[in-house]
Amino acid sequence: MKEQLQVSTRFKTVCLILAAAGAGTFAAGLFSDRETAWAAYLVTNYYFFSLSMGGVFFYVIQNITQSGWSSAFKRVPEAMMAYMPFAAVFFLLLYFGTSHIYRWSLPEVIAGDELLQNRTAYLNVPFFYLRIFICFALWVIFIRILRILSLREDSLDPADQDGIMALFSKSELYSKIFIFILIITFSLSAFDLIMSIDVHWYSTIFAFKNLIAAFLHGVSVMVLIIFILHKRGYFSFLNQYHLHDFARYIFMLSIMWGYFWFAQFMLIWYGNIPEETVYYYLRWQKGWETLFFLEIGLNWAVPFMLLLPVKTSRNMTVITVVIIFLIIGQYVDLFVQVIPGTTGMLRFGLTEAGLFLGYAGLFALVVATALSKARIIGPNHPYLEESMKHKF
Amino acid sequence: MARTFKIGIFDDEEKFISSVRTLQEQQYPIHEVYTPYPVNEVFHLLKRNTRLPTAAYFFGLAGIIATLAFLYYTSVISWPIVYGGKPFNSFPSFIVVTIVLTILVVTILSLAVFSGRSKLYPGRENTVFDSRATDNKFIIVMDTEILNQPMSGRAADIMKAEGAIEIIDKEIENVNT
Repeated sequence: MKEQLQVSTRFKTVCLILAAAGAGTFAAGLFSDRETAWAAYLVTNYYFFSLSMGGVFFYVIQNITQSGWSSAFKRVPEAMMAYMPFAAVFFLLLYFGTSHIYRWSLPEVIAGDELLQNRTAYLNVPFFYLRIFICFALWVIFIRILRILSLREDSLDPADQDGIMALFSKSELYSKIFIFILIITFSLSAFDLIMSIDVHWYSTIFAFKNLIAAFLHGVSVMVLIIFILHKRGYFSFLNQYHLHDFARYIFMLSIMWGYFWFAQFMLIWYGNIPEETVYYYLRWQKGWETLFFLEIGLNWAVPFMLLLPVKTSRNMTVITVVIIFLIIGQYVDLFVQVIPGTTGMLRFGLTEAGLFLGYAGLFALVVATALSKARIIGPNHPYLEESMKHKF
Repeated sequence: MARTFKIGIFDDEEKFISSVRTLQEQQYPIHEVYTPYPVNEVFHLLKRNTRLPTAAYFFGLAGIIATLAFLYYTSVISWPIVYGGKPFNSFPSFIVVTIVLTILVVTILSLAVFSGRSKLYPGRENTVFDSRATDNKFIIVMDTEILNQPMSGRAADIMKAEGAIEIIDKEIENVNT
């Protein structure tokens, strides 16, 4: 079994070419149609940020619950967490596109809107970016702490049980603190980044829906990375019980995603208050309707139906198919949330595709580099043996 | 009709499981096992099979269809009322009721089918092979009518070697399993 990931130069070159192509199409998009380019930038940027966030959630929850079965795979969510600083930089760069996405940032809109005037104390451009900066700073600091603790565990002597256990409980403690901070700051960020596009519309469950979406899609991509590594000769101990547990994670989260999605939709539909229903009215217009239902189908119905039987949840091919559907599903989900409030144009053109490929290249490069920096299995984790021989 | 049973009593899960495995490998027929909590591995070792999850899936499907049909009948066909400007068939608001009623239907039907299949009913006399089977011990019960005399002795030896704390022969009237 290979212990250290080697990133080939070919992989690096392909990733860099993709990233450069993404940057190129974005620059070209800025010249031709600024609004579309910035809206696509927000969708794609948030997409890969949410994948990274999903890795954080998974890692933190495994630490808090002291899970044994997943401990051999902990380097993968760690590598996904390493993308967070990049997401932070890209979100701060959003500053230059603020006026194209967020209507509340335009002085002429505020002047004619009493509701917005009352909200300027909170929703103004400097404070908005200050909040983004603080949230990301907190996340990056905690991610760094957890990563350092995990790497320090590798350098310890395997016989030093006390030292290993001390590190183990320390990372659990930091995870506990982190998850409290995460819930609050992530909720605020989701409200800021996505919900404030439709500035007159509120939904208190919105942040939780996005949190679960991030968790669901982050875990799916993490499982996909583990499968790819398994195919290339790492994680050779991966057995059907690991597969079943991964499938259960995706299954459970997709049900929760459906639950939150439905809770938000049903209450608004049933309450029938114009200020709230306008959100869904926009998304039920011609053309958008298909995407709206595609979203539930891809993110809830497909995983639910395919992963319900035991046999399919232990089958790598079926899980991979589900993950591919979920990867498309998250894009559709974000597209439906962002675009109607910004450009309102239902199109997936060169700008969107180029940006997506560019970010995908960058994300793959960052994750692979982070994976190659440490041993792919933390050899001193106290539950490593349990994870290798996972069975139930 | 009285039958004699060979009963092995264990106080350790691992020893109990390895004993079941050895007996199973050497094809000694095991009549029944008792554990203080569900032990998945023994279930697989004894090659017991259950179709209850499949049945539960169909109960759920039936529950969904029945509930939606009932809601549709009451609110569209039998007694249509305009309620807050909603259409008669206000499907999204039916879903919550459907989920809850489906869970109820699945629970009740599964319980009924399980009880029926394992012949559990109020007032049933249960055979207690050993009083410790209801306590914290792991019990293997073997029927000596199926085992012949030498096999019976060897089975006892196997269980002893695997670490049974006690092996007893017991004659039981009216076996109810």
